[in-house]
Amino acid sequence: MTDPVTRPPATDEVPQDAPAASPQAVAALSDMETDWRRLDPRMLLVHLVQETFRLLPVLFGIIILGRSSDNGQNWFEWVFIPLVVAVVLLRYLTTRYRITNGQIELRKGLLNKQILATPADRVRTVDVTSSPIHRVLGLGKVELGTAGTGHGDRLVLDALTLPEARHLREELIHLRQVRAAPEASTGIPAGPSAPPPTGEPYALQPPVTAPTASVPVADTETELLRLDPRWVRYAPVTMTGVVSALAIFGFANQFITRVLERGVLTEAVDRIGDYAWWVDSIVGVVAVLVVVTVLSVIGYVLQFWGFRLTRHSGGTLHITRGLLTSRESSIEEKRIRGLEVGEPLGLRLVGGGRLHVITTGLSKREDRRGTAWLVPPAPRQVVAEVAAAVVGDRQALTARLTHHGASARRRRYIRAMWPALAILLVALLLTLWRQWPIGIAVAAFTPTLVMPFIARDRYAGLGHHLTPEHLVVRSGSFVRRRDVVQRTGIIGWNVRSSWFQRRVGLAHLTATTAAGKQGYTAYDIPVGSALALAHEVDPDLIRQFLT
Amino acid sequence: MSEQAERLRLREPAHLVSPRARVMWLVEGAFLMLLLFAGQVLWWFLDGSRSRTPHVVVGVAWLVLTVLYLSIMPVWRYRVHRWEHTETAVYTQTGWLDQERRIAPVSRIQTVDMTRGPVAQALGLASVTVTTASAAGPLKIHGLDLDVARHLVEDLTALTIAERGDAT
Repeated sequence: MTDPVTRPPATDEVPQDAPAASPQAVAALSDMETDWRRLDPRMLLVHLVQETFRLLPVLFGIIILGRSSDNGQNWFEWVFIPLVVAVVLLRYLTTRYRITNGQIELRKGLLNKQILATPADRVRTVDVTSSPIHRVLGLGKVELGTAGTGHGDRLVLDALTLPEARHLREELIHLRQVRAAPEASTGIPAGPSAPPPTGEPYALQPPVTAPTASVPVADTETELLRLDPRWVRYAPVTMTGVVSALAIFGFANQFITRVLERGVLTEAVDRIGDYAWWVDSIVGVVAVLVVVTVLSVIGYVLQFWGFRLTRHSGGTLHITRGLLTSRESSIEEKRIRGLEVGEPLGLRLVGGGRLHVITTGLSKREDRRGTAWLVPPAPRQVVAEVAAAVVGDRQALTARLTHHGASARRRRYIRAMWPALAILLVALLLTLWRQWPIGIAVAAFTPTLVMPFIARDRYAGLGHHLTPEHLVVRSGSFVRRRDVVQRTGIIGWNVRSSWFQRRVGLAHLTATTAAGKQGYTAYDIPVGSALALAHEVDPDLIRQFLT
Repeated sequence: MSEQAERLRLREPAHLVSPRARVMWLVEGAFLMLLLFAGQVLWWFLDGSRSRTPHVVVGVAWLVLTVLYLSIMPVWRYRVHRWEHTETAVYTQTGWLDQERRIAPVSRIQTVDMTRGPVAQALGLASVTVTTASAAGPLKIHGLDLDVARHLVEDLTALTIAERGDAT
């Protein structure tokens, strides 16, 4: 983190005469109500680097063109660089923000002027992201998630100094509480600390340093989770790990191909056949295992290093994570609609799990829409503790679920087996009529041997349960999830059934919600149980449509 | 869960859509099948091989599928598609092979839209879409008589305005 005092004074437009004990923050705060404020001037550097990276392909093209024609080089230098600088400079000069009348406003654009305004109490989440460049300069990108689900619902300030960014976050959360619960002050003994009863009820309270703050900004923080580096051992068994491993591998391989004009893969493929087939297979399997392990560990570390989950007494959860690019997210607990307890096959086999929170207003750039990591892949016990600390409904997390019955089980087997049998049949026909090698028919037996186990596991995963506070549904084998959804967060019901399902009295019951995946489904649940669930959650709604 | 609860069944929504909806689905279905046919015509001209047997086989399959689809789908859909709303909820049933029933409380409605495609316009029909704050929850009623649709939109809008809260 950079001390605010070290800001280059030449580019600073905020007066620097604040006392040393409480630099800038207080001075800036007093301006917040009225003045338009700019981003930190160091964003110029960040954007220059980012734009250059973004235009790298074009840049390469231009350089190559410049080589082939003599005056191309000049063209590049005289037009391209000033253009990028001008764009970035304009962005800096035209972007301003302020907090006024309990709402945050953002102005940007020169030709296409935009003014984005959001009431502070509509701000659901505040994320501060710092890429490596941001971090070198002590900056953070602030993203405010608001209630809407459209694409224009994010307010982005790229970038502020980290103290400014954190301060803005505290301020917004604070403001939101003052706006959301003005009646809260009635319970507190009136005194110098009470907010002004008339006039400006939404005025910003000075932060920590001021004795008159009505709601403490420096609230107490309870740590719910801190990453234990030993959890890295779970990285290789997660799909996320494997996918990030493949991504890193792909990138690295491409890079190596560029440099050596020869890829690792092509190299490896060329070597196949030099030795006996079983040597090749063993070497291949070991190589894949090593690569996946190493890369997924790297992926895990990049994504989750320093993971810390804390709860603030002001009613927010804070999540900090990331090795190179650090992310700080804050989620208002009032907006939490439930949890997704993930037990994907790999993690389940080694006694691990993971946890996502279901909430409204998260950025779409989160790992999955509307859900954010609460616990990275970790021991199941850790996941259970954090989950219980967040939703407090132990029954919803631990209770045995009601299974979906014999018809659902049969359906799992049929759905798993028929593609396997179809493959087998085709393979057999080809061997008989077209004289395909017998090995293909033998290999085609594999799915019929594997699929029953998958079907069994998929059925074992199916289940539902209802607690006084939550609806619990579970499904899946490779990506098994136990979804714990707040009953009050459910805003509708869908009952879908195919022709086959109707014949055996099953249906997919989806509870829709404004948060997370938007809908949480109990698959192949007996129709009677489905309606009983919906009826118990909202009797008045369902009763009128029952026979 | 009690024995009685397990026997719970939803009744069908009260109202059928307009009988002209069958014509709409027939025309829309025909367009879809024509699109497939266009693909096949393209294949006929682009295929360099001399054998025309695959074309004939696919063509016959297309014909059988089209006749079955267009003779069964609109009628079946018409028998399934139903809707209803009360003071507190909207209830729809859609589909044919796959069927879906959706229930949304009026208190959670965010928007009520009426849309009219070209075929619907020609037949004096309209579709009404009721959205909630959940992206998984829009209720769509296709093939309503235009007047019925207008009334439905008015009713639901009035009911929604009477409700409070931001419906999330």
